[in-house]
Amino acid sequence: MAVVEPAPSFSLSPEVDEAEARAGGRGRRWRSQLGTWIPAGMIAFVLVACFLGPTLLSLPSPVGGSVLESNQPAFSPGHVLGTDPNGNDILSRLLHGGQSSLWIALAVNLLGLVVGGTLGALSGYVGGWVDTAIMRVLDVLIAFPSLVLTLAVAQALGPSMTNTIFALAFFSIPAFARLARSAVLRLREMPFMAAAQLAGTSPSRMLFKHLAPNIAPQLITFGMLGMGIVIIIEGALSFLGLGIPDPAPSWGNMVATGQLSLSATPMLVVWPSLALLVTVLAFNLLGENLRARWSGR
Amino acid sequence: MSSKRTAAFPAEDATVSEGVIVPETAGRHRPATAASPGEPLLVVEDLRVQFTRGGRKINAVNGLSYELAPGSMLAIIGESGSGKSVSSRALMGLLPPTAKISGSVRFDGRDLLGLSEREMQSLRGGDIAMVFQDPARSLNPTMKIGAQITEAVRLHSDLDKKGAQARAVELLKLVRLPAAERRFHEYPHQLSGGMRQRVMIAIALAGEPRLLIADEATTALDVTTQAQIMELLVELQQRLGMAVIMISHDLGLAASYAQDVVVMYAGRAVEYAPTKVLFANVRMPYTHALLGAIPALDREPHSLFEVTPGQPPDLSALPKGCPFRPRCSNATDQCLEMPPFTEHDPEHWFACWHPVGSGTGKHTANGEQR
Amino acid sequence: MTATATPRVPVSRDPRVSPLSRLTASPVLRLVVKRLLMAIPIMLGVTVLTFWVLSLIPGNAAQQLLGPEATPEDIALLEQQLGLDKPGVVRYFDWLQGAVTGDLGNSLVSRQPVSEILSARLPVTAELVFLAFVVSLVLAVPVALLAAHKPGGVMDRISMMISTLGLSVANYVLALLLVLVFAVSLGWLPAIGYTPLEDGLWANLRGMILPSAAIGFPLFCYYTRFLRGDLVDQMQQEEYVTTARAKGVGSWAVLIKHAFRNSSFGLITIVGLNLGALIGGTVIIEQIFALPGIGQMLLQAINTRDFVVVQAAVVIFALVAVVANLVVDLLYAVLDPRIRYGSR
Repeated sequence: MAVVEPAPSFSLSPEVDEAEARAGGRGRRWRSQLGTWIPAGMIAFVLVACFLGPTLLSLPSPVGGSVLESNQPAFSPGHVLGTDPNGNDILSRLLHGGQSSLWIALAVNLLGLVVGGTLGALSGYVGGWVDTAIMRVLDVLIAFPSLVLTLAVAQALGPSMTNTIFALAFFSIPAFARLARSAVLRLREMPFMAAAQLAGTSPSRMLFKHLAPNIAPQLITFGMLGMGIVIIIEGALSFLGLGIPDPAPSWGNMVATGQLSLSATPMLVVWPSLALLVTVLAFNLLGENLRARWSGR
Repeated sequence: MSSKRTAAFPAEDATVSEGVIVPETAGRHRPATAASPGEPLLVVEDLRVQFTRGGRKINAVNGLSYELAPGSMLAIIGESGSGKSVSSRALMGLLPPTAKISGSVRFDGRDLLGLSEREMQSLRGGDIAMVFQDPARSLNPTMKIGAQITEAVRLHSDLDKKGAQARAVELLKLVRLPAAERRFHEYPHQLSGGMRQRVMIAIALAGEPRLLIADEATTALDVTTQAQIMELLVELQQRLGMAVIMISHDLGLAASYAQDVVVMYAGRAVEYAPTKVLFANVRMPYTHALLGAIPALDREPHSLFEVTPGQPPDLSALPKGCPFRPRCSNATDQCLEMPPFTEHDPEHWFACWHPVGSGTGKHTANGEQR
Repeated sequence: MTATATPRVPVSRDPRVSPLSRLTASPVLRLVVKRLLMAIPIMLGVTVLTFWVLSLIPGNAAQQLLGPEATPEDIALLEQQLGLDKPGVVRYFDWLQGAVTGDLGNSLVSRQPVSEILSARLPVTAELVFLAFVVSLVLAVPVALLAAHKPGGVMDRISMMISTLGLSVANYVLALLLVLVFAVSLGWLPAIGYTPLEDGLWANLRGMILPSAAIGFPLFCYYTRFLRGDLVDQMQQEEYVTTARAKGVGSWAVLIKHAFRNSSFGLITIVGLNLGALIGGTVIIEQIFALPGIGQMLLQAINTRDFVVVQAAVVIFALVAVVANLVVDLLYAVLDPRIRYGSR
């Protein structure tokens, strides 16, 4: 009767006592909910604004403005945030720039998640020389200064959105791979893995049915933090003129061109900076919160 | 053997009531009430500890009461989760601030629960000291043994650094750590488990405590070492005249060393008696179960085996009435009401509607053979 | 009397053992040798990768130097002079041969020896990184201690808010905002430019304050967060903390003498791992503030296809990362008694 014990029971070892103390009650739980929903809401807002905003607000094109309309102040008719020296609507450039930042960040992280995650999981699961070989290559990539690598790749392939994605993937893939590998190594010790293996589960089924679902939450959480990092680095590439090529807008190149007239028109730098900050902050907050929840389990 | 032990003992000439091992120069002052005989050193009354976790209230200790005479040894026995460790940490003020503690703990006439953090701090390691379960984790891995003891000595005496170090070496000798002078300069990981626990005891003795709480102090050690550490504790207890609370899940260990035993279940004392009285006549079915499957003539042969399985109850959702009811073979509808914890027999307290072994002397053989 | 284990003496003091074998028996030394051996393939990999990536970049230094109007014959001649006509594998091994003997070659553009360029530029980057490091660490430790003393308290919340914000701001954005406030609006500090140390310490430092703050502030936030988290973990999960409290040690002393002592090992690791990323981050900051450091040199060299110089910069960056990791391991070994005595 009492062989299977369904009732949850707390062992009050000191560790658990402290964990309880830290978990700290209903208020904390409510805050943790809020900690997830506020950044999620911020991200949703940024996504809607960037992808639907230009159409909904029927904003002018981000490029090809008339010099006659250059440097208009904020709240001037038709240009809520004013225009830049080329006469382009700043809000429109901001939102369109956000589109490319977000696309690039998403693509780079997806590439990292799929390619890096698979490589790392394979490396950890198979072990042996496959593991050694994959990890040595990744060691080299990690020792390589990431910005230098992306700079060189961006130079080699020429500035464009696709090339930026490939350049940045060079450094998201090893990061994801390392994480996936260590997660798999930990999972491998679990009894259910041995059970599945003893039941004669095929390796591919092991990898995709047993390992993948278990490491996915961790990788996705890491991807949230990765979104922020990629947005910042993409901005850096564009800032150096190696990312999104002019005149197409991106937050990075908006900051870079704004820098040229920093003292005269500081708002040209402030707007894209704010957009960068808010977006990265939202992804970081969400990632941190998911991570705290994940590790708290 | 005994002369050998005495030789290792540094300050034989000091008086017992002064805490023995400390030279007069340490200048420690004890309140006059300390040594008055007959009056208990520690009185715990209706102690309750509650944690809140994820909106659920966890009642770790639910009205624990016991007394401890100066210089005596009390064993608190229970499974993990019975509240034995939490209750002792509560009286040391070592629980996180989120724990809700109520009831009263009077130590030497002072209510410990009402003390400020500063007052508690001078009491901790001074009058009340504690030794923990896992000596591997309880010592700071990055500090030398000597520094860890010296720190405790300096906190509770006016000795200067040199004096405190000398005193630390004395303490290491007192707990009979071999090659004390050399060990003084070593790190915890260079010592074996038994030696580490000796160091822990030396740290605890640094403030010449009147109460030493040994929280599963021998659980992590192998059987031989366990016996040695227990012998050491008993010897020190007698020599220094300190009271000891021994927290353990091992009823046998309690039977061999303690004068009194409290058995805890689900944060409650379920049986409390002098060791001799208890083992002469175990009354509470839970204690009975702990003692093992005892063949009792007036019970169904397999009835006790149905008691032992199962787990301690969920402390955030305690069953109605007696918490042991779901696992107890004697349980009836009456047990849905909480049995009072009272002195049913002289000196023998327990909380049960249907106690076992009401006759006398029935379990003596089992109790004594430990 | 006691049946405890025989004492483990870490390093043999037996006079019969020769000093050499005593050295090789030392766990620290073994660690150093092991890590050095591991660093070699990593460094080789980095240089091969750089050569390969650079070979993908269209155009070469000869074309860049001679400009668009040059005839194919002129370009071919210059390529021959610069050694660019040889196959990549040959060029790599030529380069490697020189590099191993300490000769990093000559710049394809200025024909200056790379070592000379480096010796002029390295101090600028080193100063920048050093200042950022020292200031961020010196500030992060007390702030983290204050925050960890009362988790959830006012100091904790404020410092966590600031550090979350600081970790979300890109360093180039921060750099421009700092320039906007302290150079453009307030006029306290120069917006760009570098003054050599020979022209006075203060003049030199004035120019370094904003760039090192732009690099150091996110670092400060990172260290603060890490240290605070680790301290809180130590305080809440480690039994030795309970022992210290049970001894009667006060809460600040437990935090500083016990928890921080243990947390500092983790902090060292983080600091070391960071150094590689940090030095990569100087590229953009040196560009913004027009500091003549390695990062600026790298950007210019990429633009002029001066691959010899690019290669040197990458080697320097990777070397810093690898050496930093090595130093961290060594520091660990020297500071952490558990490793020092080889029982981990």
